[in-house]
Amino acid sequence: MKRYTKVLTAAFVLVLLIGVCGGFVHASSKVRIALVLASTTDDMAWSQSMYEALLALQNQLGKDKMELVVSERLGNPVDAGAAIRQYADQGFDIVIAHGAQFQAVVFEVAEDFPKTSFAYGSAFKTAPNVFAYEPLAQQGAYLNGMLAGFMTKTGTVAIVGPVESGDAVKYNYGFGQGVIAANPKANFRIAYTGSFGDVVGAGELAKVHMDAGADFLSGSAQQAVGAVRACAERPGVYWMATDMDQSSLAPDTVLAAQVYHWEKLVADMLELRKQGVMGGKHLYLSFVDDTLEFRISPRLADKIPADVIEKIEKAKQEIIDGTLVVELPTGTK
Amino acid sequence: MQGVVISDVIVGILATGVRLLAPFLFASLGEMFCQRSGVFNLGVEGIMMMGAFADFFVTLRLGNPYLGVVMAILTGIVLGLLMALISVTMQAPQGISGIGLHMFCWGLSGLLFRVYVGFITTIEGFKPLPIPGLASIPILGPILFQHNWLVYLSILLVPISAFVLFKTNWGLKVRAVGVTPQAADTLGVNVNAVRYQCLMLGGALAGLAGAFLTVGQANMYADNITAGRGFIAVALVYFGRWNPVGILLGSLLFSIMNSLQLWIQVLGINFPYEFAVILPYVVTIAALAVAVKHVWAPTALGKPFRRESI
Repeated sequence: MKRYTKVLTAAFVLVLLIGVCGGFVHASSKVRIALVLASTTDDMAWSQSMYEALLALQNQLGKDKMELVVSERLGNPVDAGAAIRQYADQGFDIVIAHGAQFQAVVFEVAEDFPKTSFAYGSAFKTAPNVFAYEPLAQQGAYLNGMLAGFMTKTGTVAIVGPVESGDAVKYNYGFGQGVIAANPKANFRIAYTGSFGDVVGAGELAKVHMDAGADFLSGSAQQAVGAVRACAERPGVYWMATDMDQSSLAPDTVLAAQVYHWEKLVADMLELRKQGVMGGKHLYLSFVDDTLEFRISPRLADKIPADVIEKIEKAKQEIIDGTLVVELPTGTK
Repeated sequence: MQGVVISDVIVGILATGVRLLAPFLFASLGEMFCQRSGVFNLGVEGIMMMGAFADFFVTLRLGNPYLGVVMAILTGIVLGLLMALISVTMQAPQGISGIGLHMFCWGLSGLLFRVYVGFITTIEGFKPLPIPGLASIPILGPILFQHNWLVYLSILLVPISAFVLFKTNWGLKVRAVGVTPQAADTLGVNVNAVRYQCLMLGGALAGLAGAFLTVGQANMYADNITAGRGFIAVALVYFGRWNPVGILLGSLLFSIMNSLQLWIQVLGINFPYEFAVILPYVVTIAALAVAVKHVWAPTALGKPFRRESI
């Protein structure tokens, strides 16, 4: 009987060891990433750009090396905070809260989970285990604005903005500077819907802009798709996209797009974690490392004069070299 | 204001205001019938979402926005029936039932969109239908007669609703069960049946309001497309004192204020945008506070009907 007990105990210990070792193997070989979104993975804008980047990264690394889970429709920071805490509690390695509005809850939860990395943006404030990230949206915005400024026939270029905060502020300021740099006499107008997600409201605002003479429009956040569709109803009106290439919505209307490539930024976070850096870094998307892309619609490229394209390419290069700095309003990093 | 003619701006403000009117009118008139019968349906927002999705999906698959509108109305009727089952037959508290219905529809519309569509895409909605002879009238033409047919229908529904409510036998029953259901019951009116009918009618109109968002305004569908318009519609019923003409005035005020704030921003008038976007709400609330001092409401509103036993 004693012998059986010893054998059973040894087997039990062995099973435990295998389990624990297996767990270590699992923990060390597979990175677990959770993504918390204010809208949905199919919003054709901010949220979808990050989701698709993470999918691309997962395809690149292999599903056995990277786990990805997503929580959508968590625009309310309190609900988002509960999800962020739950993911950290479940042992996820990186929890990405994709929105500046999540700053307070990210910092609150991060204090309780020092071995988990958190990331959020657009933002710049960090903590030892919190990465902040932001696209330098003003860079592509400037090029979008230049193109609109050069191409406008009515002389009026307009923004359908969501709320004057975060990424939208940088985008709008950059866009306006681009318009005026290309066409100092242009009439540049900014208006806001007051919502990140009201596609109907954005469509109506775009219609009013067009009724008031605008023929080139742009705007950010998920609400912008409503404006893209409204522009597509009016011949001779063009849309300059940001966050994603939105030309699938209106192929004859979306002339150019600033596209965010988050893959490299997240890959950088993974690399930093391998080096033992859990956070504390401020990461960017920019033209310098091709994490920002300025894409002219191939379908409409022939509508743009060669000298305009040349001027835009030159401006892009100057932004990369640092000889052209797109200014931001005071207090915006 | 550079390069903009003032008269064009005024016409633009009013024309946009009339265009924005339709979803509020549809949903508010439907909610008015519900509340007139004594049932408070806070699920309007959710029914609008489902109506918007149903319309979008049918239009996308069949290429026919008219069929989309029919499907939106049918969807609204089914959801109205569900609300009736919960709040009239099962006598659940009406406020929380409506919130529950809204949450259910919000989740369901998102789920159906994800499963059956999966990405944001566009549809061909209704084009403006200028009314021959009237559309070319200076000033009035662009303001009133150059919209899509759903806008005209929404305005036409105001006198139709008033007629039904105040001039028909059924309208009398609706008003009776909303004020004194016990007395109506004594006189042989089937209170619950009337409430079921009103909730189905309210659902149909809320579904139509949702349909307007997809085929009359946005020509697409996105998550949470209603963005609170259903709740505004409920508030407009109070503003309009449960009367179709009052609801028209409230909806017009809200829509024109909304249009005005858009134009204020677009023209670059020196006015903080944060105040501009809340202007319609502030003006409507202020008007409500001033106008509804001696508010009359259906006295049985929110109270489940229980036949008294002897």
